[in-house]
Amino acid sequence: MLILGIETATMQVGCAIGGHEGVLASVHSAKGKRHAEQLVPSIQFACEQARVELSEIGLVAVDVGPGLFTGLRVGVATAKALAFSLRLPMIGVPSLDLLAFPVRFSNRLIVTAVDARRGELYYACYRQVPGGVQRVTDHQVGSPDDLASELLASGEEVLLVGDGAQRYQEAFEGMAKVELVDTGNSHPSAAALVELAHARALREDFERPDAIEPLYLRRPDAEINWSTRDGR
Amino acid sequence: MLGIETSCDETAAACVRGGTQVMSSVVSSQVDLHARYGGVVPEIASRAHSELIIPVTARALLEAGIDGADVDAVAATTGPGLIGALLVGVSAAKALALAWDVPFVSVNHLEAHLYAGFLEEPELRFPLVVLLVSGGHTMLVLVEGHGRYRLLGQTLVDAAGEAFDKVARFLGLGYPGGPAIDAAAMVGDPEAIRFPRSMLDDGLDFSFSGLKTSVVNHVRSHPQVSTEDVAASFQQAVVDVLVAKARRAAREVGAVALALGGGVAANSLLREQFLGACAEDGLHAFLPSRQMCTDNAAMIAAAGWYRLEREGPTPLDCGADPNQRLSIVP
Ligand SMILES: [Zn+2]
Repeated sequence: MLILGIETATMQVGCAIGGHEGVLASVHSAKGKRHAEQLVPSIQFACEQARVELSEIGLVAVDVGPGLFTGLRVGVATAKALAFSLRLPMIGVPSLDLLAFPVRFSNRLIVTAVDARRGELYYACYRQVPGGVQRVTDHQVGSPDDLASELLASGEEVLLVGDGAQRYQEAFEGMAKVELVDTGNSHPSAAALVELAHARALREDFERPDAIEPLYLRRPDAEINWSTRDGR
Repeated sequence: MLGIETSCDETAAACVRGGTQVMSSVVSSQVDLHARYGGVVPEIASRAHSELIIPVTARALLEAGIDGADVDAVAATTGPGLIGALLVGVSAAKALALAWDVPFVSVNHLEAHLYAGFLEEPELRFPLVVLLVSGGHTMLVLVEGHGRYRLLGQTLVDAAGEAFDKVARFLGLGYPGGPAIDAAAMVGDPEAIRFPRSMLDDGLDFSFSGLKTSVVNHVRSHPQVSTEDVAASFQQAVVDVLVAKARRAAREVGAVALALGGGVAANSLLREQFLGACAEDGLHAFLPSRQMCTDNAAMIAAAGWYRLEREGPTPLDCGADPNQRLSIVP
Protein backbone atom coordinates (compact mmCIF):
# COMPACT_ATOMS: atom_id res chain seq x y z
CA MET A 1 0.00 0.00 0.00
CA LEU A 2 1.31 3.43 -0.95
CA ILE A 3 0.99 6.14 1.67
CA LEU A 4 0.91 9.90 1.16
CA GLY A 5 2.11 11.75 4.27
CA ILE A 6 1.33 15.43 4.88
CA GLU A 7 3.10 17.46 7.54
CA THR A 8 2.47 21.16 8.27
CA ALA A 9 2.69 21.48 12.05
CA THR A 10 5.58 23.95 12.21
CA MET A 11 7.10 26.51 9.83
CA GLN A 12 7.88 23.57 7.57
CA VAL A 13 5.75 22.13 4.80
CA GLY A 14 6.51 18.44 4.39
CA CYS A 15 5.19 15.72 2.18
CA ALA A 16 6.37 12.13 1.60
CA ILE A 17 5.30 9.03 -0.30
CA GLY A 18 6.21 5.50 0.62
CA GLY A 19 5.06 2.06 1.63
CA HIS A 20 6.55 -1.35 2.29
CA GLU A 21 9.54 -0.51 0.09
CA GLY A 22 10.29 2.40 2.41
CA VAL A 23 10.11 6.08 1.61
CA LEU A 24 10.10 6.75 -2.15
CA ALA A 25 10.14 10.55 -2.05
CA SER A 26 10.09 13.22 0.58
CA VAL A 27 9.89 16.97 0.14
CA HIS A 28 10.45 19.51 2.91
CA SER A 29 10.60 23.26 2.73
CA ALA A 30 10.69 25.68 5.62
CA LYS A 31 10.63 29.18 4.33
CA GLY A 32 8.10 31.84 5.15
CA LYS A 33 5.19 29.88 6.60
CA ARG A 34 3.43 29.53 3.29
CA HIS A 35 1.67 26.24 4.02
CA ALA A 36 -1.38 26.81 1.83
CA GLU A 37 0.70 27.95 -1.14
CA GLN A 38 3.33 25.22 -0.97
CA LEU A 39 1.52 22.09 0.11
CA VAL A 40 -0.30 21.07 -3.08
CA PRO A 41 2.72 21.80 -5.31
CA SER A 42 4.85 19.76 -2.86
CA ILE A 43 2.45 16.83 -3.18
CA GLN A 44 2.63 17.07 -6.97
CA PHE A 45 6.43 17.21 -6.83
CA ALA A 46 6.65 14.23 -4.45
CA CYS A 47 4.41 12.21 -6.79
CA GLU A 48 6.65 13.06 -9.73
CA GLN A 49 9.81 12.18 -7.82
CA ALA A 50 8.35 8.90 -6.62
CA ARG A 51 6.90 8.23 -10.09
CA VAL A 52 3.56 7.60 -8.53
CA GLU A 53 0.12 8.74 -9.68
CA LEU A 54 -2.17 10.12 -7.01
CA SER A 55 -4.64 7.37 -7.96
CA GLU A 56 -2.13 4.73 -6.79
CA ILE A 57 -2.15 6.11 -3.23
CA GLY A 58 -3.92 3.83 -0.76
CA LEU A 59 -3.76 5.82 2.47
CA VAL A 60 -3.46 9.45 3.54
CA ALA A 61 -1.45 10.11 6.70
CA VAL A 62 -1.35 13.53 8.32
CA ASP A 63 0.52 15.21 11.13
CA VAL A 64 -2.25 16.34 13.51
CA GLY A 65 -0.02 18.47 15.72
CA PRO A 66 0.31 20.00 18.22
CA GLY A 67 1.79 22.97 16.37
CA LEU A 68 0.80 26.09 14.45
CA PHE A 69 -2.99 26.15 14.24
CA THR A 70 -3.18 27.61 10.76
CA GLY A 71 -0.54 25.28 9.35
CA LEU A 72 -2.24 22.26 10.91
CA ARG A 73 -5.60 23.21 9.47
CA VAL A 74 -4.11 23.56 5.99
CA GLY A 75 -2.59 20.09 6.32
CA VAL A 76 -5.67 18.47 7.82
CA ALA A 77 -8.09 20.09 5.31
CA THR A 78 -5.88 19.04 2.41
CA ALA A 79 -5.47 15.49 3.74
CA LYS A 80 -9.16 15.06 4.45
CA ALA A 81 -10.16 16.44 1.04
CA LEU A 82 -7.76 14.04 -0.67
CA ALA A 83 -9.00 11.09 1.39
CA PHE A 84 -12.61 12.07 0.66
CA SER A 85 -12.16 12.52 -3.09
CA LEU A 86 -9.91 9.48 -3.57
CA ARG A 87 -12.02 7.42 -1.10
CA LEU A 88 -9.04 6.52 1.07
CA PRO A 89 -8.60 5.66 4.74
CA MET A 90 -6.63 8.02 6.96
CA ILE A 91 -4.19 7.89 9.85
CA GLY A 92 -3.31 10.88 12.03
CA VAL A 93 0.04 11.00 13.85
CA PRO A 94 1.11 13.61 16.43
CA SER A 95 3.93 16.00 15.47
CA LEU A 96 5.92 15.18 18.59
CA ASP A 97 6.03 11.48 17.60
CA LEU A 98 7.44 12.51 14.22
CA LEU A 99 10.28 14.35 15.93
CA ALA A 100 11.06 11.43 18.25
CA PHE A 101 11.04 8.64 15.65
CA PRO A 102 14.14 9.72 13.67
CA VAL A 103 16.26 9.90 16.87
CA ARG A 104 14.96 6.59 18.30
CA PHE A 105 18.35 4.87 18.43
CA SER A 106 19.18 6.26 21.82
CA ASN A 107 18.87 4.87 25.31
CA ARG A 108 18.33 8.33 26.69
CA LEU A 109 14.98 9.88 27.46
CA ILE A 110 13.85 11.50 24.19
CA VAL A 111 12.05 14.80 24.69
CA THR A 112 10.47 16.57 21.73
CA ALA A 113 9.33 20.18 21.82
CA VAL A 114 7.49 22.22 19.20
CA ASP A 115 7.21 26.02 19.35
CA ALA A 116 3.76 26.88 20.72
CA ARG A 117 4.21 30.69 20.37
CA ARG A 118 3.55 33.08 23.27
CA GLY A 119 6.75 31.92 24.95
CA GLU A 120 5.53 28.34 25.33
CA LEU A 121 6.28 24.86 24.03
CA TYR A 122 4.26 21.76 23.25
CA TYR A 123 6.30 18.82 24.48
CA ALA A 124 6.27 15.12 25.36
CA CYS A 125 8.74 12.40 26.47
CA TYR A 126 9.55 9.17 24.63
CA ARG A 127 11.53 5.99 25.12
CA GLN A 128 13.01 3.68 22.57
CA VAL A 129 11.06 0.43 22.09
CA PRO A 130 11.65 -2.34 19.53
CA GLY A 131 10.82 -0.87 16.10
CA GLY A 132 10.18 2.67 17.27
CA VAL A 133 9.45 4.92 20.18
CA GLN A 134 6.77 5.03 22.82
CA ARG A 135 5.38 8.19 24.31
CA VAL A 136 5.64 8.02 28.09
CA THR A 137 3.94 11.31 29.04
CA ASP A 138 0.91 13.27 27.89
CA HIS A 139 1.27 16.08 25.37
CA GLN A 140 1.96 19.14 27.46
CA VAL A 141 1.99 22.92 27.07
CA GLY A 142 4.41 24.95 29.15
CA SER A 143 7.21 27.46 29.23
CA PRO A 144 10.79 26.47 28.39
CA ASP A 145 11.59 26.97 32.08
CA ASP A 146 8.81 24.55 33.05
CA LEU A 147 10.33 21.94 30.76
CA ALA A 148 13.89 22.66 31.95
CA SER A 149 12.94 22.13 35.59
CA GLU A 150 11.07 18.90 34.75
CA LEU A 151 14.16 17.59 32.99
CA LEU A 152 16.39 18.59 35.88
CA ALA A 153 14.05 16.92 38.38
CA SER A 154 14.02 13.67 36.37
CA GLY A 155 17.80 13.42 36.72
CA GLU A 156 17.91 11.51 33.43
CA GLU A 157 20.17 11.73 30.41
CA VAL A 158 18.02 13.54 27.85
CA LEU A 159 18.04 13.96 24.09
CA LEU A 160 16.07 17.13 23.32
CA VAL A 161 14.66 17.67 19.79
CA GLY A 162 12.46 20.15 17.95
CA ASP A 163 12.08 23.71 16.71
CA GLY A 164 10.72 24.71 20.12
CA ALA A 165 13.84 23.42 21.86
CA GLN A 166 15.98 25.24 19.28
CA ARG A 167 14.16 28.50 19.71
CA TYR A 168 14.50 28.53 23.49
CA GLN A 169 17.88 26.80 23.69
CA GLU A 170 19.21 29.22 26.31
CA ALA A 171 16.72 27.70 28.78
CA PHE A 172 18.55 24.35 28.46
CA GLU A 173 22.11 25.65 28.26
CA GLY A 174 24.43 24.43 31.00
CA MET A 175 22.27 21.37 31.74
CA ALA A 176 24.94 18.67 31.84
CA LYS A 177 22.63 15.77 31.11
CA VAL A 178 20.65 17.42 28.29
CA GLU A 179 21.84 17.25 24.71
CA LEU A 180 20.08 19.45 22.19
CA VAL A 181 19.93 17.74 18.78
CA ASP A 182 21.07 20.04 15.99
CA THR A 183 18.81 21.81 13.50
CA GLY A 184 18.77 18.99 10.92
CA ASN A 185 16.02 17.25 12.91
CA SER A 186 14.17 20.21 14.30
CA HIS A 187 10.97 19.89 12.23
CA PRO A 188 8.63 16.88 12.21
CA SER A 189 9.65 14.46 9.49
CA ALA A 190 7.17 13.61 6.72
CA ALA A 191 9.24 10.49 6.01
CA ALA A 192 8.77 9.39 9.63
CA LEU A 193 5.06 10.05 9.18
CA VAL A 194 4.95 7.60 6.27
CA GLU A 195 6.94 4.99 8.20
CA LEU A 196 4.82 5.26 11.35
CA ALA A 197 1.59 5.25 9.34
CA HIS A 198 2.80 2.19 7.46
CA ALA A 199 3.33 0.29 10.69
CA ARG A 200 -0.18 1.21 11.80
CA ALA A 201 -1.68 0.41 8.40
CA LEU A 202 -0.33 -3.14 8.68
CA ARG A 203 -2.45 -3.47 11.82
CA GLU A 204 -5.35 -1.82 9.96
CA ASP A 205 -5.33 0.83 12.65
CA PHE A 206 -7.17 3.41 10.51
CA GLU A 207 -9.19 6.42 11.62
CA ARG A 208 -12.46 7.79 10.35
CA PRO A 209 -11.59 10.94 8.39
CA ASP A 210 -14.22 12.94 10.29
CA ALA A 211 -12.49 11.99 13.56
CA ILE A 212 -9.24 13.58 12.43
CA GLU A 213 -8.81 17.15 13.65
CA PRO A 214 -5.76 19.12 14.79
CA LEU A 215 -4.62 18.51 18.37
CA TYR A 216 -5.01 22.07 19.58
CA LEU A 217 -4.21 21.57 23.29
CA ARG A 218 -5.33 25.16 23.82
CA ARG A 219 -8.84 26.49 23.73
CA PRO A 220 -9.53 29.64 21.69
CA ASP A 221 -8.72 32.79 23.74
CA ALA A 222 -12.29 34.08 23.46
CA GLU A 223 -13.58 30.87 25.01
CA ILE A 224 -11.05 31.04 27.85
CA ASN A 225 -11.89 34.68 28.58
CA TRP A 226 -15.57 33.85 28.51
CA SER A 227 -15.21 31.05 31.08
CA THR A 228 -13.01 33.20 33.32
CA ARG A 229 -15.55 36.00 33.19
CA ASP A 230 -18.27 33.61 34.31
CA GLY A 231 -16.03 32.21 37.02
CA ARG A 232 -16.32 28.74 35.49
CA MET B 1 -18.68 23.72 -10.87
CA LEU B 2 -18.25 22.90 -7.19
CA GLY B 3 -18.02 26.10 -5.14
CA ILE B 4 -16.57 26.35 -1.63
CA GLU B 5 -16.93 29.33 0.71
CA THR B 6 -15.31 29.70 4.15
CA SER B 7 -14.46 33.41 4.38
CA CYS B 8 -16.32 34.19 7.61
CA ASP B 9 -18.71 32.16 9.75
CA GLU B 10 -20.56 30.04 7.20
CA THR B 11 -19.11 26.82 5.83
CA ALA B 12 -20.71 26.44 2.42
CA ALA B 13 -20.48 24.24 -0.66
CA ALA B 14 -22.63 24.23 -3.78
CA CYS B 15 -22.89 22.66 -7.21
CA VAL B 16 -23.86 25.00 -10.04
CA ARG B 17 -24.20 24.09 -13.71
CA GLY B 18 -23.22 26.60 -16.36
CA GLY B 19 -22.83 29.53 -13.99
CA THR B 20 -26.56 29.85 -13.36
CA GLN B 21 -28.31 26.58 -12.57
CA VAL B 22 -28.07 25.83 -8.84
CA MET B 23 -28.09 22.05 -8.33
CA SER B 24 -27.37 22.26 -4.61
CA SER B 25 -26.38 24.90 -2.09
CA VAL B 26 -25.46 23.81 1.41
CA VAL B 27 -24.71 26.41 4.08
CA SER B 28 -23.73 25.45 7.60
CA SER B 29 -23.94 28.53 9.76
CA GLN B 30 -21.83 28.90 12.89
CA VAL B 31 -24.00 31.72 14.25
CA ASP B 32 -24.73 29.78 17.45
CA LEU B 33 -21.02 29.27 18.15
CA HIS B 34 -20.31 32.99 17.99
CA ALA B 35 -23.55 34.44 19.40
CA ARG B 36 -22.40 34.71 23.00
CA TYR B 37 -19.30 36.66 21.97
CA GLY B 38 -21.41 39.20 20.05
CA GLY B 39 -19.35 38.75 16.90
CA VAL B 40 -17.35 36.26 14.89
CA VAL B 41 -14.31 34.87 16.75
CA PRO B 42 -11.71 33.97 14.10
CA GLU B 43 -10.14 30.99 15.90
CA ILE B 44 -13.53 29.46 16.69
CA ALA B 45 -14.62 29.99 13.07
CA SER B 46 -11.47 28.34 11.71
CA ARG B 47 -11.90 25.29 13.94
CA ALA B 48 -15.51 24.89 12.90
CA HIS B 49 -14.65 25.21 9.19
CA SER B 50 -12.06 22.48 9.62
CA GLU B 51 -14.69 20.12 11.07
CA LEU B 52 -17.44 21.03 8.63
CA ILE B 53 -15.72 21.44 5.29
CA ILE B 54 -15.82 17.79 4.18
CA PRO B 55 -19.33 16.94 5.50
CA VAL B 56 -20.72 20.10 3.86
CA THR B 57 -18.97 19.33 0.56
CA ALA B 58 -20.17 15.72 0.64
CA ARG B 59 -23.72 16.95 1.27
CA ALA B 60 -23.56 19.39 -1.68
CA LEU B 61 -22.53 16.58 -4.04
CA LEU B 62 -25.21 14.27 -2.64
CA GLU B 63 -27.98 16.85 -2.96
CA ALA B 64 -26.90 17.63 -6.52
CA GLY B 65 -27.06 13.90 -7.22
CA ILE B 66 -23.54 13.82 -8.58
CA ASP B 67 -20.26 12.12 -7.89
CA GLY B 68 -16.78 13.59 -7.62
CA ALA B 69 -16.11 12.29 -11.13
CA ASP B 70 -18.87 14.57 -12.48
CA VAL B 71 -17.25 17.74 -11.13
CA ASP B 72 -15.59 19.76 -13.91
CA ALA B 73 -13.92 22.43 -11.80
CA VAL B 74 -13.61 23.58 -8.19
CA ALA B 75 -13.89 27.22 -7.13
CA ALA B 76 -13.12 28.63 -3.68
CA THR B 77 -13.16 32.03 -2.03
CA THR B 78 -9.57 33.22 -1.62
CA GLY B 79 -10.47 36.59 -0.05
CA PRO B 80 -11.37 38.97 1.41
CA GLY B 81 -12.17 37.39 4.78
CA LEU B 82 -10.63 35.86 7.89
CA ILE B 83 -7.29 34.36 6.88
CA GLY B 84 -7.49 31.20 9.01
CA ALA B 85 -11.03 30.54 7.81
CA LEU B 86 -10.22 31.18 4.13
CA LEU B 87 -7.26 28.80 4.23
CA VAL B 88 -9.42 25.83 5.22
CA GLY B 89 -11.66 26.22 2.17
CA VAL B 90 -8.81 27.04 -0.22
CA SER B 91 -6.79 24.02 0.97
CA ALA B 92 -9.71 21.63 0.65
CA ALA B 93 -10.70 23.01 -2.78
CA LYS B 94 -7.18 22.74 -4.17
CA ALA B 95 -6.87 19.17 -2.88
CA LEU B 96 -10.19 18.21 -4.52
CA ALA B 97 -9.11 19.79 -7.82
CA LEU B 98 -5.81 17.91 -7.61
CA ALA B 99 -7.47 14.57 -6.83
CA TRP B 100 -10.15 14.89 -9.53
CA ASP B 101 -7.66 16.39 -11.97
CA VAL B 102 -9.88 19.38 -12.79
CA PRO B 103 -9.17 23.14 -12.80
CA PHE B 104 -9.12 25.14 -9.58
CA VAL B 105 -10.47 28.70 -9.66
CA SER B 106 -9.80 31.43 -7.11
CA VAL B 107 -12.86 33.61 -6.46
CA ASN B 108 -13.10 37.05 -4.86
CA HIS B 109 -15.90 36.99 -2.29
CA LEU B 110 -17.14 40.46 -3.26
CA GLU B 111 -17.22 39.56 -6.95
CA ALA B 112 -19.24 36.48 -6.00
CA HIS B 113 -21.86 38.65 -4.27
CA LEU B 114 -22.20 40.60 -7.53
CA TYR B 115 -23.05 37.31 -9.25
CA ALA B 116 -25.66 36.17 -6.75
CA GLY B 117 -28.33 38.14 -8.64
CA PHE B 118 -27.77 36.14 -11.81
CA LEU B 119 -28.27 32.77 -10.15
CA GLU B 120 -32.00 32.97 -10.07
CA GLU B 121 -32.44 35.06 -13.18
CA PRO B 122 -29.86 34.12 -15.77
CA GLU B 123 -30.76 36.81 -18.29
CA LEU B 124 -27.94 39.24 -17.69
CA ARG B 125 -28.30 42.95 -18.31
CA PHE B 126 -25.40 45.36 -18.44
CA PRO B 127 -24.53 48.02 -17.45
CA LEU B 128 -25.72 47.05 -14.02
CA VAL B 129 -25.23 48.76 -10.67
CA VAL B 130 -24.93 46.50 -7.65
CA LEU B 131 -25.54 47.70 -4.11
CA LEU B 132 -23.45 45.34 -2.02
CA VAL B 133 -24.21 45.56 1.70
CA SER B 134 -22.84 43.18 4.29
CA GLY B 135 -21.19 43.10 7.70
CA GLY B 136 -17.85 44.05 6.22
CA HIS B 137 -18.75 46.08 3.13
CA THR B 138 -21.08 48.70 1.81
CA MET B 139 -20.33 49.49 -1.80
CA LEU B 140 -21.86 50.53 -5.07
CA VAL B 141 -20.28 48.76 -8.01
CA LEU B 142 -20.87 49.33 -11.69
CA VAL B 143 -20.70 46.04 -13.60
CA GLU B 144 -20.03 46.88 -17.25
CA GLY B 145 -19.75 43.23 -18.23
CA HIS B 146 -18.27 39.99 -16.86
CA GLY B 147 -15.17 40.82 -14.88
CA ARG B 148 -15.46 44.56 -15.63
CA TYR B 149 -16.19 46.46 -12.45
CA ARG B 150 -15.98 50.08 -11.39
CA LEU B 151 -16.26 51.15 -7.80
CA LEU B 152 -18.76 54.02 -7.59
CA GLY B 153 -18.93 54.47 -3.85
CA GLN B 154 -18.15 52.72 -0.62
CA THR B 155 -18.28 52.98 3.12
CA LEU B 156 -15.72 55.30 4.65
CA VAL B 157 -15.93 54.03 8.22
CA ASP B 158 -18.53 51.48 9.33
CA ALA B 159 -20.24 49.10 6.94
CA ALA B 160 -24.05 48.99 7.09
CA GLY B 161 -24.03 45.47 8.54
CA GLU B 162 -21.62 46.56 11.24
CA ALA B 163 -23.96 49.42 12.17
CA PHE B 164 -26.83 46.90 12.43
CA ASP B 165 -24.75 44.66 14.72
CA LYS B 166 -23.60 47.51 16.94
CA VAL B 167 -27.02 49.11 17.27
CA ALA B 168 -28.62 45.71 17.96
CA ARG B 169 -26.07 45.05 20.68
CA PHE B 170 -26.62 48.50 22.16
CA LEU B 171 -30.39 47.95 22.18
CA GLY B 172 -29.93 44.51 23.74
CA LEU B 173 -31.48 42.79 20.73
CA GLY B 174 -28.75 40.18 20.43
CA TYR B 175 -26.56 38.81 17.66
CA PRO B 176 -26.57 38.74 14.67
CA GLY B 177 -27.90 42.29 14.52
CA GLY B 178 -29.45 42.32 11.03
CA PRO B 179 -32.29 39.84 11.61
CA ALA B 180 -32.74 41.13 15.19
CA ILE B 181 -33.31 44.74 14.04
CA ASP B 182 -35.44 43.56 11.14
CA ALA B 183 -37.73 41.66 13.53
CA ALA B 184 -37.94 44.43 16.14
CA ALA B 185 -38.59 47.03 13.44
CA MET B 186 -41.65 45.11 12.23
CA VAL B 187 -43.54 46.24 15.31
CA GLY B 188 -41.95 49.69 15.65
CA ASP B 189 -42.76 53.06 14.11
CA PRO B 190 -40.16 54.03 11.50
CA GLU B 191 -41.15 57.69 11.81
CA ALA B 192 -41.01 57.85 15.60
CA ILE B 193 -37.52 59.36 15.60
CA ARG B 194 -35.94 61.33 12.81
CA PHE B 195 -32.36 60.03 12.74
CA PRO B 196 -29.92 61.78 10.38
CA ARG B 197 -29.51 60.45 6.82
CA SER B 198 -25.72 60.53 6.76
CA MET B 199 -24.11 62.03 3.67
CA LEU B 200 -27.36 61.70 1.76
CA ASP B 201 -26.51 64.42 -0.71
CA ASP B 202 -22.75 63.94 -0.68
CA GLY B 203 -21.49 61.79 -3.54
CA LEU B 204 -21.86 58.02 -3.53
CA ASP B 205 -19.81 57.11 -0.46
CA PHE B 206 -21.42 55.95 2.76
CA SER B 207 -20.88 56.46 6.46
CA PHE B 208 -23.03 55.08 9.24
CA SER B 209 -20.94 56.01 12.25
CA GLY B 210 -22.80 59.30 12.79
CA LEU B 211 -26.12 57.49 12.68
CA LYS B 212 -24.92 54.98 15.24
CA THR B 213 -23.87 57.81 17.55
CA SER B 214 -27.29 59.51 17.17
CA VAL B 215 -29.02 56.28 18.14
CA VAL B 216 -26.89 55.97 21.27
CA ASN B 217 -27.40 59.64 22.19
CA HIS B 218 -31.13 59.47 21.60
CA VAL B 219 -31.60 56.38 23.77
CA ARG B 220 -29.44 57.85 26.55
CA SER B 221 -31.46 61.05 26.61
CA HIS B 222 -34.82 59.23 26.25
CA PRO B 223 -34.50 56.17 28.50
CA GLN B 224 -38.24 55.41 28.17
CA VAL B 225 -38.14 55.21 24.38
CA SER B 226 -39.55 52.06 22.76
CA THR B 227 -36.76 49.78 21.53
CA GLU B 228 -38.93 48.76 18.57
CA ASP B 229 -39.38 52.41 17.54
CA VAL B 230 -35.64 53.00 17.74
CA ALA B 231 -34.96 49.86 15.69
CA ALA B 232 -37.56 50.83 13.08
CA SER B 233 -36.38 54.45 12.83
CA PHE B 234 -32.72 53.41 12.63
CA GLN B 235 -33.48 50.85 9.94
CA GLN B 236 -35.48 53.40 7.97
CA ALA B 237 -32.57 55.85 8.07
CA VAL B 238 -30.11 53.22 6.80
CA VAL B 239 -32.42 52.01 4.07
CA ASP B 240 -33.25 55.55 2.90
CA VAL B 241 -29.55 56.28 2.40
CA LEU B 242 -28.80 52.95 0.70
CA VAL B 243 -31.71 53.18 -1.72
CA ALA B 244 -31.22 56.87 -2.51
CA LYS B 245 -27.55 56.39 -3.33
CA ALA B 246 -28.18 53.27 -5.40
CA ARG B 247 -30.78 55.12 -7.47
CA ARG B 248 -28.52 58.08 -7.95
CA ALA B 249 -25.64 55.81 -8.98
CA ALA B 250 -27.80 54.02 -11.53
CA ARG B 251 -28.96 57.35 -12.96
CA GLU B 252 -25.46 58.82 -13.12
CA VAL B 253 -23.95 55.89 -15.05
CA GLY B 254 -27.00 55.16 -17.17
CA ALA B 255 -27.48 51.64 -15.82
CA VAL B 256 -30.32 49.49 -17.13
CA ALA B 257 -30.53 47.36 -14.01
CA LEU B 258 -29.97 47.51 -10.28
CA ALA B 259 -29.02 44.52 -8.14
CA LEU B 260 -28.83 43.92 -4.43
CA GLY B 261 -26.29 41.65 -2.73
CA GLY B 262 -24.67 40.86 0.63
CA GLY B 263 -26.09 39.81 3.97
CA VAL B 264 -27.92 43.09 4.64
CA ALA B 265 -29.81 42.55 1.38
CA ALA B 266 -31.86 40.02 3.34
CA ASN B 267 -33.43 42.96 5.24
CA SER B 268 -37.18 43.15 4.57
CA LEU B 269 -37.48 46.93 4.39
CA LEU B 270 -34.47 47.26 2.11
CA ARG B 271 -35.89 44.64 -0.26
CA GLU B 272 -39.27 46.32 -0.38
CA GLN B 273 -37.92 49.82 -0.99
CA PHE B 274 -35.34 48.58 -3.47
CA LEU B 275 -38.07 47.00 -5.61
CA GLY B 276 -40.20 50.14 -5.33
CA ALA B 277 -37.30 52.34 -6.45
CA CYS B 278 -36.49 50.14 -9.43
CA ALA B 279 -40.13 50.15 -10.51
CA GLU B 280 -40.32 53.95 -10.27
CA ASP B 281 -37.09 54.50 -12.17
CA GLY B 282 -37.81 51.89 -14.84
CA LEU B 283 -34.79 49.80 -13.90
CA HIS B 284 -34.65 46.03 -14.12
CA ALA B 285 -34.30 44.72 -10.55
CA PHE B 286 -32.11 41.75 -9.65
CA LEU B 287 -33.18 40.78 -6.16
CA PRO B 288 -31.64 37.49 -5.04
CA SER B 289 -33.56 35.33 -2.60
CA ARG B 290 -32.49 35.74 1.01
CA GLN B 291 -30.37 32.55 0.89
CA MET B 292 -28.45 33.90 -2.08
CA CYS B 293 -27.91 37.33 -0.48
CA THR B 294 -26.21 35.98 2.62
CA ASP B 295 -22.92 34.12 2.23
CA ASN B 296 -23.27 30.94 0.21
CA ALA B 297 -21.20 28.86 -2.17
CA ALA B 298 -23.55 28.93 -5.18
CA MET B 299 -22.46 32.50 -5.85
CA ILE B 300 -18.82 31.35 -5.55
CA ALA B 301 -19.42 28.61 -8.11
CA ALA B 302 -21.19 31.07 -10.44
CA ALA B 303 -18.44 33.69 -10.22
CA GLY B 304 -15.88 30.91 -10.60
CA TRP B 305 -17.53 29.63 -13.76
CA TYR B 306 -17.34 33.02 -15.49
CA ARG B 307 -13.83 33.59 -14.20
CA LEU B 308 -12.65 30.21 -15.51
CA GLU B 309 -14.08 31.08 -18.94
CA ARG B 310 -12.35 34.46 -18.91
CA GLU B 311 -9.01 33.77 -17.29
CA GLY B 312 -8.54 30.00 -17.13
CA PRO B 313 -7.54 27.98 -14.06
CA THR B 314 -5.74 29.47 -11.05
CA PRO B 315 -2.31 27.91 -10.33
CA LEU B 316 -2.28 25.49 -7.38
CA ASP B 317 0.36 27.50 -5.52
CA CYS B 318 -2.28 30.12 -4.82
CA GLY B 319 -2.97 31.05 -1.20
CA ALA B 320 -5.56 33.28 0.44
CA ASP B 321 -5.56 37.06 0.82
CA PRO B 322 -7.58 38.45 3.76
CA ASN B 323 -7.60 41.93 2.16
CA GLN B 324 -8.17 40.90 -1.43
CA ARG B 325 -9.80 43.69 -3.40
CA LEU B 326 -12.29 43.56 -6.17
CA SER B 327 -10.27 44.01 -9.33
CA ILE B 328 -11.47 47.25 -10.79
CA VAL B 329 -11.06 48.21 -14.45
CA PRO B 330 -8.76 51.22 -14.80
ZN1 LIG C 1 -20.30 38.08 2.11
